[in-house]
Amino acid sequence: MLTALWPRHWSRQQRSNATLVSALVLMVLALALLGQALSFLPDPIGPNAQAFAEGARTTLWLTLVSGFCGLLLGTGAALARTARWTPLRWAARFYIWVIRGTPLLVQILFVYFALPVLVPGLNLPDFAAAVVALGLNVGAYNSEAIRAGLLAVPRGQTEAARALGLSRTHVFFDVVFPQAFKISLPPLVSNFVALLKDSSLAYAIGVVELTNVGNRIQSATFQPIATLSTVAITYLLLTTLVTQVSNAIEHRFDVEGRAQ
Amino acid sequence: MTHPQATPTTAPATPYIVAENVCKAFGTHQVLKNVSTVFNTGEVTVIIGASGSGKSTLLRAINRLEPHDSGRIAIGGVEVTDDQRTLQQQRSEVGMVFQQFNLFGHLSVLDNVTLAPRRIHRTPRAEANEQALQLLRRVGLREHAHKYPWQLSGGQQQRVAIARALAMRPKVMLFDEPTSALDPEMVQEVLDVMRELARGGMTMIVVTHEMGFAREVADRVMFFDQGRIAHDAPPAEFFANPANDRIRAFIGRMGS
Repeated sequence: MLTALWPRHWSRQQRSNATLVSALVLMVLALALLGQALSFLPDPIGPNAQAFAEGARTTLWLTLVSGFCGLLLGTGAALARTARWTPLRWAARFYIWVIRGTPLLVQILFVYFALPVLVPGLNLPDFAAAVVALGLNVGAYNSEAIRAGLLAVPRGQTEAARALGLSRTHVFFDVVFPQAFKISLPPLVSNFVALLKDSSLAYAIGVVELTNVGNRIQSATFQPIATLSTVAITYLLLTTLVTQVSNAIEHRFDVEGRAQ
Repeated sequence: MTHPQATPTTAPATPYIVAENVCKAFGTHQVLKNVSTVFNTGEVTVIIGASGSGKSTLLRAINRLEPHDSGRIAIGGVEVTDDQRTLQQQRSEVGMVFQQFNLFGHLSVLDNVTLAPRRIHRTPRAEANEQALQLLRRVGLREHAHKYPWQLSGGQQQRVAIARALAMRPKVMLFDEPTSALDPEMVQEVLDVMRELARGGMTMIVVTHEMGFAREVADRVMFFDQGRIAHDAPPAEFFANPANDRIRAFIGRMGS
């Protein structure tokens, strides 16, 4: 949406940069001003505006940190899954099998309650436990998206790069990964948006994020429509901004002009 | 049967690439059967033969895109093995051009050409760009430097691929059916660039079906049949007196 706002004569890079910058600025502004904006609203929302804003910030922060971990983990698992060494492939397969086959809520509860029993001395605070569980979860889904991208890069590309005498590292980082990343980007964005919403499950172990805040206020004020609508609209605002950022990135990588 | 000294050069021929008893099988299909030959410096060798006869596989074995099962291949006296450092060094001295061009789709024409020198020789970007623009001028694509591969025709893409291979200043160029994926009207522009290279003294091994090019440019023509070098002769002799009926039939089919 935002990418269509800029003058026609701008280049693809100028437009994607402008979109990226403005979406990021909008996101910071939205978070900074959310408290102010909500405080103008009538009773159940206005007095609790700061709590909502704090919850939204926690949600976004939780999503960003676990999303980043999930991206690293996903790339690692995708590489392990396509590695030549069999034990590594099996380890990656096992990880993906377990994570995709169990509910996220169980994983969050497991990391928070069961892990300290299994590994004595490892007492994660609620936020860290949520990051670990969400990161592990999104990592498994990301790895399949990235693997699909890696497999979609034609064999001829690696052959041409190797034939030039490029080292394995350069073949990967200069030729394979950029092309695989472009292909993986749309599913990765879906995963990230899903993560933003799934982070609400951290509510179960007491992380004071957006859903938790909304639920507390709802049960204290007995005004579920106003509070839960505010929660939903805040999520919608966050996901819309995240989608704008990712559209800008997609636009930037789109050298073939396919998405126009 | 082979004539490694067949080149009509005044200087004594120096062997650059040596293949000895090279064998390669895909599953139970034996693609290369004890292939032995020598490619000399400055020589243009054209390899012809039916598809599946092993000619491309030999080319791909030389820079180890397709590792051979047994026998020995040496480039400049150094054996081609899986040792990564030596292999990368050898590959950077052996340019390769593919049937499907294989340009890097996410990079501009200029970046396609400069990537290898910048990464392998650590050439500064400005200097690499300068050299790349010269190469692109040589293949007639100076003004397309900032386009992306998808914006070019097949013939233009293949000429960029040649410039990309030349950017590493290779000592030998391998061409794997460089014009087979092109529309007929684009074949000549690629052959012209190759002719120019040959005139400049580049050592070339060309797998092709272009009989006209073989006649005119090659120092020697090699005929592959069922994984073996069935005949190897200077072009005049090769085309005037085909060594056997299979070769005669093949030349006839290729319309030469």
